[in-house]
This record gives sequence, C-alpha cells and structure tokens, in this order.
Amino acid sequence: MIRIERRLTEARWLLVAVPVGSLIGAVILSSVILLATGHDPLGTWQRLLDRGFLSEGALSATLVQATPLLLTGLAAAAAFRMQTWNIGAEGQLYLGAVGASGAGIALGSQPAALVIPAMVLAGLVTGAAWAAIPGVLRAVFRTNEIITSLMLNYVAGLLITYLIFDSQSYWRELSTFTSRVFPQGKYLSAAAGWPSVQIAGIAIPFGFLLGMVAAASLWLLYRSTRFGFEARVIGDSRAAAHYAGIRTRRKIVAVMALSGAFAGLGGAAEIGDFRHVLDPRGLQQASFGYAGIVVAALARLNPFAVILVAVLLGGLSNGGFSLQGADFPAGLVGTLQGLILFCALAGELLVRYRVRVQRPRRSPVHPADVATVRPA
Amino acid sequence: MKKSVRLAATMLAAAALGACGTTNSTTSTNQPFKAAWIYVGTAGDHGWTQAHDDGRKVVEQQLGTAVKTTFKENVPEGPQVEQVVEGLVRDGNKIIFATSFGFQDAMANEAAKHPDVKFEQATGFKTANNLAEYFGAAEDADYLTGMALGAASSKGKIGFVAPFPIPEVIREINAVALGAQTTHPGATVQVVWTNTWFDPTKEKQAAQSLLSRGVDAIGQGQDSPATGEAAKAVGVKWSGYDSDQSNVAPDIWLTGTVYHWGPYYVKRVKAAMDGSWKTGSYYGSIGDGMIDIAPFGQSVTQAARDQINAKKEALKSGTFYEFTGPLKDQSGAVKIAAGTKMTLEQILSMDWFVQGVIGSPKGG
Repeated sequence: MIRIERRLTEARWLLVAVPVGSLIGAVILSSVILLATGHDPLGTWQRLLDRGFLSEGALSATLVQATPLLLTGLAAAAAFRMQTWNIGAEGQLYLGAVGASGAGIALGSQPAALVIPAMVLAGLVTGAAWAAIPGVLRAVFRTNEIITSLMLNYVAGLLITYLIFDSQSYWRELSTFTSRVFPQGKYLSAAAGWPSVQIAGIAIPFGFLLGMVAAASLWLLYRSTRFGFEARVIGDSRAAAHYAGIRTRRKIVAVMALSGAFAGLGGAAEIGDFRHVLDPRGLQQASFGYAGIVVAALARLNPFAVILVAVLLGGLSNGGFSLQGADFPAGLVGTLQGLILFCALAGELLVRYRVRVQRPRRSPVHPADVATVRPA
Repeated sequence: MKKSVRLAATMLAAAALGACGTTNSTTSTNQPFKAAWIYVGTAGDHGWTQAHDDGRKVVEQQLGTAVKTTFKENVPEGPQVEQVVEGLVRDGNKIIFATSFGFQDAMANEAAKHPDVKFEQATGFKTANNLAEYFGAAEDADYLTGMALGAASSKGKIGFVAPFPIPEVIREINAVALGAQTTHPGATVQVVWTNTWFDPTKEKQAAQSLLSRGVDAIGQGQDSPATGEAAKAVGVKWSGYDSDQSNVAPDIWLTGTVYHWGPYYVKRVKAAMDGSWKTGSYYGSIGDGMIDIAPFGQSVTQAARDQINAKKEALKSGTFYEFTGPLKDQSGAVKIAAGTKMTLEQILSMDWFVQGVIGSPKGG
C-alpha cells in the first residue's frame, strides 16, 4: 500500500536535492522523447541553454520576457498566499496597460520625470481597481472569486479590442492614413519610454527593477507587518481568523487590489518598456497573466523565488523559439517546456510530502495478535 | 498579424526604389543560403499560414540544396518577435519573411540593426533599404468566389464570417456581394464579425449564428476552415479563404480565394542570393498568379463554372474591374458614378458597404 503523507518538517537538503533531481528527471524524460523523434538531445539542451541564458545578449532578451512574468507571478503569489484565488491577472494586466498608455498619451509632451511616474501610478491604480471588483463581490456576496476574476479577463480582452478596433476612443490613432487602413493605438512620445539600466552588458528594463522592488515589498509585507500576519492567518484558517476578530472582508478586498496592482504594473511595463502603444492583439496573444500562476506555483509563493522563476521561464521561452524549425515542430518545443515544468512541480510535491510504502503483513500471526493489532 | 494595409503601395514603392541601391550578397559557394519565415499561427492551420508555408516549400523544391529554409510558428506579436529575429540572424539567415501585420514594428527595428540581412514583411507598409513589403489583391478572387456563392444560393441569402471591420476586409465583403449579385440578382450578404483572424471556435460560432438565421450559402475571410465545419453540419454550401480548404467538407465546397506565395518567394530568395535584391512594395494580383481561386467543388454547376471562368479571364486581361461604378452604398445612394473606377487610395481606405450587404462596416 502506498501512502502520501505530509512531512512534519521539511529537511533543508531536500530543498536543494529535489529541484536538482527534478531537473535531471526532466532531462532524462525529454531526452527519451528527443531520441524517439530523431533529434540529438545533447545538442538540443545545449542550444536551449545557450540561447536562453548564455550567449551574448541572451539574458537581456530573457529579461524582456521575464518582466511581465515577474509582475504577474507576484500578483498570483500575493493573492494565493491568503488562499484568495485571483485568476484575473490577465485582465488586470490589460487594464494596467490601458491606464498606463492613457497616462502616457495625456502627458506626452511633459518630461520623462513626470510621465513615467504617472504611467506607473496609472497602471497600479487601474489594475487594482479591476481586481477590486471580484474582491468586493467575494467579500460582500461570497461569490467565487475564481469564476468572477476569470470571467473579467474576457471582459477586459473585449474592452481593449473595443478601444482600438470598434470605437473612436482616446487610445486610438485616427489622424493618419495608415491608421484608417488598419486600426492602431496612438504611439507614445519618446519621453514616455521607460529607461533600461545596463549592468555587465545586460540591459535590465525599468519594469524589471520595479518588479524586484515589488517583490521585496511583498516579502516584507507578509513577513513583518500586522497586515501580512493577519492575511496569513486568514489564509491558514478563515474561521480562526474570524474568531480572533480579524476583519476578513477588508483583507480580501485589500489583497485582491494589491494583487491587481502588481498585474497592472506588469501591463504598464509592457507599454512603457517594450510596446509603446496599446496593442490589444499582442497583449492577448502573450497571455502573461495565466503564465504568472505557473510562476507563482513554481516559486512556492515566495516573492524572491518568483524573480528567479520568471527569469528561468523567460529564458525557456526564448530558448524554445530558437529550437523551433522546419524539422523541429513547435509542438515538440512545447512538450519539452511542459516536461520541465511538470517535473519541477512534481518535485515540489516531494519536498512537502513523502511517499511511504506499507507492506501488508504476510507473516503468520497468532490469533491473539489479530485481535489486538488490526492492520491499518 | 497579417494582412492588411497595403498602403499607398505605389507611392511608397516608388520612393523606396528611388532611395535604394543594390546591396551586396554574402553567399559563399559551399554553404547553403539560409532563408527564414516567421508565422503568427501554426504552419498546419489549413489557411493563411499554411499558404505561406506551402510557398516556403516551393523555395526548397525549386532551389534544392542551394538553400536551407526554416520557420518559427506561433510567434506572439510584440517584443518576442525581435528576439526571434535576433536568433534567426545569429543562425546565419540572410533573408527573413514575416507574414503577419503585427510583426511590422519589430521587423523595421531589426532591419535597421542588421543592414546585411534582407527583410520582407507581408501586408505591411513600412519599407527601408533592406525591408520590402508584399501582398496580393484578394478582392479580384473574392469577386469570383462571390459569383459561386450567388449561384449556389436559392434564396439569395448569403452569410459571411469576417475578421475585423477594416478596409481590407470591407472591400473583400463588397467584392463577394458584387460577385454574388451577378449570378443571383438581388442577393444579400449578411456579415458577422469575429474580431480575430484565427480562432476556430469563434469562427464556427459565428458561422452557426448565420446558418441559424437562414443563410443558404456561406463564405468566410478567416484563417481557419471552421466555417466549413459549421456548414457541413447543416449541408449548406460554403467557400474558403487563404488555402484550398475543400477537404474539410468536399461535397458542399464551392471554391475560395487562395494565395500562391511560392513564385514570389523563389524570386526574392534568388535575388537575395545573387545580389540583385532590391526593396519595394509588391502588390500581386490575379493577373500575375499570386491570387487565384481554388479548384471548383463538385457542387458548382457547369453553367456557373463557365460564367466564373469567363469573368476570371476578363479580370486577368484587364477588360473588367470589379470596383467600377455605378456602385451604391447600403442606403442606395450612388457612391461611385457610372463608368468611374475607384482609385487605389479609395480602395485602400474603403469604409462603406455596397448595397445588399447586411451589417455595419464599423463592426458590432
């Protein structure tokens, strides 16, 4: 009989051994698939690592992908830590992009020192406001926030499509001939472009720096503040928190808004750092909000681990595109990426739980024993 | 994403051609010349992307071991495109084709960074010394497809599943309606917008909503053949787009607008190899074979085939052009006077429906 039981204490060495073990497991499993499909496993892994992380400029490119993943990962981690299931980071990111690009257009002629903080603020506020909707519904009417936050993603997707394709909105460019031929948003002025910091030849986007600050703040919030303590109590047992006199309703709305603010900042960074225009199609194709849930899960909701996992997933995504080709289909790349994630999550289970094999008793027993010791 | 915006093609092409000179080629004798394609969808989508990938295969067949082609599929529009291009350049690709309109900004940035690599952008309008544009006039074939739809409809009620309310799609629908009205006078074309190029589920739902409203022939301008699947369930004849999609529902297949990108790709890769590559805005047509209609399905009558083939010849020889007045808008007011041909700029920014189209050219 095989039983999975929770470990009472998590051994330190497991925290290192299990991730290494799951990585080896992923390499072995996917090598089998690569060999079976007639590809060279060693060369494939080398290329994935090289193009994702090691080659010149690879890390700069990886950070471009990692920036939105970091922020949506933090969004998921912030909410999940309190067992509040905000699945709406996708839509909150769109709204953050709407807010930030709106601020960028409105203040386009102002200096960067004014425009950029305004864009950051607008992203935070719009994302938080969008997330507060399912938060309030949860707190007041006890609706299931998984459903409401998920449904609002579709609403947000339709909203940004409407702003550019179906209306003459403030965000849409209407003056040029080109924009009459194909609908597009207004491009932001150069002052609204966020700077990037060069460290050791790696271009670190401003949004990524903000994400690191956000991660540290989230860590401090949950570790050293009364707010964080109460949120953790609510997460562990809502009933206990209630009896202790913690105001759970307010916390739910506040944590949802905080989560949405991170996702909204992710949308603002997409606009300020990379796109410089509200691009409904590109944002929806990227699905950073859903990927953020994976980031948070792999990071075990630890904000600092979210940074690391976001960079890993960003590199995996870039490296994956470099593998693709006429004889290397996208589906195979997806299988490799999926195996790596699957092994990592499965290994995660082993850190917290142990598998115990219990053999049924087969040795002859005395009738007296049977009476007193029944097999479990 | 693809499509659209074939800008004031002639003006830009002229400017670009004037500004650019020949760039030297960097082919060596032993190494194969490397060419790459970037797709927004999957190579096997039975539609837009597959048409381009078929073109890539034509390059491989015709140029053999002298070239090595590759492609990247499912590339999301936005910052990821630049990284994909960087990877392709690092792999030694010397010409890169991007087949979605939404790739354009990234292609323009990368073209500026890598002057020794040739860039080609389908359906866009930005050009540079090493960035060219290409597209085809689908409306010619759409008119012929419309004729097949009109002939197949007994009530004259045609449905059309359309992506975005933009001029490229609006003129496609207008061409279908005008074609249908020649084979079925008074025919109407009812439009449903999906707001997506490629989303089989949405496309199928849109087709089903049209079919439930009683249309008895259905066309589409989407990247997938999902409309055919909806039509198959109720046995209504249908037309396709981008690639020959007859195998989805062969019994009720009429025809469809198809793109043949292969000859253009071969020509451009060859030019890049021998150093004669020049930038420009190429606008293919039914006359040069970039645009055509797919082979007729068995359900198209001989009379309709003859009528359509005759019109096709007239389009090819230039004795007929579909957007010639008198053209009336939805309210019945004359928009283009009798005998007047619409200008290129009017066509590129067309934002009104012809008489007989049901739906709003503003979407919704």
